[in-house]
Amino acid sequence: MNSIEKQLLNEPKRIVQNVITAVILFAFIMWSLTAVDLSNFTSNGLDIAKNILLGIVTPNTDLLFTFNTNGVPYLLVETMAIAFLGTIVGAILAIPLAFLSASNIVPKPVAFLVRLFLIFVRTIPAIVYGLMFIRVTGPGPFAGVLTMALTSIGMLSKLFVDVIEDLEVNILESLESIGCTPFEKIRYGIIPQLSAMFMSIVIYRYDMNLRDAAILGLVGAGGIGAPLIFAMNGYKWSEVGSILIGLMILILIVELISNKIRNKLVRGY
Amino acid sequence: MIKFQNVNKKYDNGYEALKDINLTIEQGEYVAVIGLSGAGKSTLIRCINRMHDISSGSLLVNDVEVSTLKGKEIRKLRRGIGMIFQSFNLVNRISSLKNVLVSFVPDMPIWRKVLGLYTKKQKIEALEALDRMNILDKAFTRVDQLSGGQQQRVALARTLAQKPSIILADEPVASLDPITAKQVMTDFQRINEEMNMTIIINIHHVDLALEYATRVVGIRSGEIVYDGPASEVTEQILEHIYNGKLEEELSGN
Amino acid sequence: MNILKAKSVELPNGKTVTFKRSKAPWIILVLLICFYYSVQITGFDLQVLAKRIGQFWVIIGDMIPPNWKYLNKLWQPLFDTIKMSLLGSILGSIFALPLAYLASSNMIKNKPVVAAFKFILSLLRTLPTLVAALIATFVFGIGTMAGTVAIFIFTVAYVGKLLYEAIENADLKAFEAMHSMGHTTTSAFRCAIMPQILPNYLSNAIFCFEGNVRYAAILGYVGAGGIGLMLNESLGWRNYANVGMILLLLVVTVYIIESISEYFRKKLM
Repeated sequence: MNSIEKQLLNEPKRIVQNVITAVILFAFIMWSLTAVDLSNFTSNGLDIAKNILLGIVTPNTDLLFTFNTNGVPYLLVETMAIAFLGTIVGAILAIPLAFLSASNIVPKPVAFLVRLFLIFVRTIPAIVYGLMFIRVTGPGPFAGVLTMALTSIGMLSKLFVDVIEDLEVNILESLESIGCTPFEKIRYGIIPQLSAMFMSIVIYRYDMNLRDAAILGLVGAGGIGAPLIFAMNGYKWSEVGSILIGLMILILIVELISNKIRNKLVRGY
Repeated sequence: MIKFQNVNKKYDNGYEALKDINLTIEQGEYVAVIGLSGAGKSTLIRCINRMHDISSGSLLVNDVEVSTLKGKEIRKLRRGIGMIFQSFNLVNRISSLKNVLVSFVPDMPIWRKVLGLYTKKQKIEALEALDRMNILDKAFTRVDQLSGGQQQRVALARTLAQKPSIILADEPVASLDPITAKQVMTDFQRINEEMNMTIIINIHHVDLALEYATRVVGIRSGEIVYDGPASEVTEQILEHIYNGKLEEELSGN
Repeated sequence: MNILKAKSVELPNGKTVTFKRSKAPWIILVLLICFYYSVQITGFDLQVLAKRIGQFWVIIGDMIPPNWKYLNKLWQPLFDTIKMSLLGSILGSIFALPLAYLASSNMIKNKPVVAAFKFILSLLRTLPTLVAALIATFVFGIGTMAGTVAIFIFTVAYVGKLLYEAIENADLKAFEAMHSMGHTTTSAFRCAIMPQILPNYLSNAIFCFEGNVRYAAILGYVGAGGIGLMLNESLGWRNYANVGMILLLLVVTVYIIESISEYFRKKLM
């Protein structure tokens, strides 16, 4: 019994630590609760919520199945095109930047500067780029493509760098031993290692860009966002419903397909 | 007392795991269940605490009909029966003591359950259980840092803390080396003798079964083909239980 | 010779080897077609870009140097943004737990229930945060409440999905032992599964918070409060020195939060 009581006293005391954590967490919640402002909430809001739900249940089928440039299908295709081109342009730009920020390839100060630059590029919200590019190309999907390209660079190059820094270098040694030139070493030693992972990352980013492209319309950079906000501002809930349904189905399908392809690329099945 | 009367067990896919089992085990017996893999050993002991349902017949555990119990009653039955597994089935990321304390959780008020707060009395009981298994010094070590034998002892301590009258053990020594396996079998023997607990063990190692258990039940494709004292098991009986595959079975493990 | 046809080669020793038919030409063809039509749809034009890209640098030039005097007005909206994402992330992560539990096929044996909760989680995930914020401003009125709701929804969906994947991949051995001791399924989950998934869960919640700060920064654009509101205003007035200040503040804030979050996530692993 004595040894048991002794061992009981040896129990690591986590109480102080746990209480401090709990107090800090509680303080954070209290602090952030001050941001909750319900003064603008009116019974009107509930009506609107009900209307939106009704709109989704009873969508405007004309809009959903019209195949001209105002219909949902065309807008979705346009959104997909923006995301597609944006991802490709972004990926092309990201590759050199990734190599420039990989510390096993370029000198440390260069890598650091490029990384700092990438943090900047990554943090600036898509909408700011959107508004800036509208000044360049005028409103429309072209501005959307450029925006997507720029916002993709940050994440793509960060993920690319991780892959590059994980490269197997001993394969290069064996290629050298059979007399390969540097070009041949890159072509047959590095590219086969990188391409599957890069493809997988690019597809993942396309999946994300599709969601982002859907909101670019809010600033006039093409895609399905603009009709959505017009419909909402005009309280046309059944139009809102059909746009949201189209968007959700599209995103679900693209996610499903991209997961399939990525599994195949990365794991080989 | 555990009493099987004409118990049958058929799986959903039509496989008959147990055929007309009649078996009575008195309080305080140390029983080893032996037989080929897939003969129904595991199914037999898992019926006792309703981890498996029986298809027909009657199964009494301490005069309670097990097959008709529902929800809460099943959990009450299980509180009184301890279970030990081949791979120990401990929660890896937490300490030995916390693993033992888990056995008090079903009887705790909900707020204690959610916060994971135990009383001092419970902690002492848990430490006592660990002490009984001689691993008091490992109380605050994470179980994934213990050896296999030590982990099985923590699992045994967890079961003891439950204060069961019966302990079921499903291949408790199959993942241990021969020396540790003997120690664990001795632990079972000690618990059996000191606390008069019924112990029912499924076991692959025939020699260990014969050495430690007092009674042996042999199962062959779902039927009991031998039931008697361990001392009376002969080579012939083993051949019969193992269907002439004794050599294979032993070399396979 | 048709490049798409499977090729058989007879080796000198008489054995034949059949090469697998390569899918690469098809994939490249499909990608080229997509590329062509995407260019058509979005009006992508390198000439326009080359001619007008100067505008982009003009805006960047206007942002530098940033308007330091504006900083004083930014603290309050910045804290609002952080509060929004903090509250939304904490509540969302807590709420995700029961949803993830109900969506795990190894915990809930009722298949329709599992399918329904999985569907709800993926449906919530398709809703772009900005669109959710937009809807929330209609329901809860303009202000931080709308932003908090949008972040809450996104967090529930994101953390919920990762959590149910973790639960479904968890080791069930201890869980089985709990059942044999007379625990209910919920209690067995609390004792056997929670300790396994907790580090992963907290790490995902923190990661989600990090991303949410970034998202919260633009929610103000649709009137959902925080620093996005100031961003929207400054962009509207074309006061790019102010925009530069906001972006700089954002980058620094996000960088600090990322560093803190990375520290804690490393500690958890």
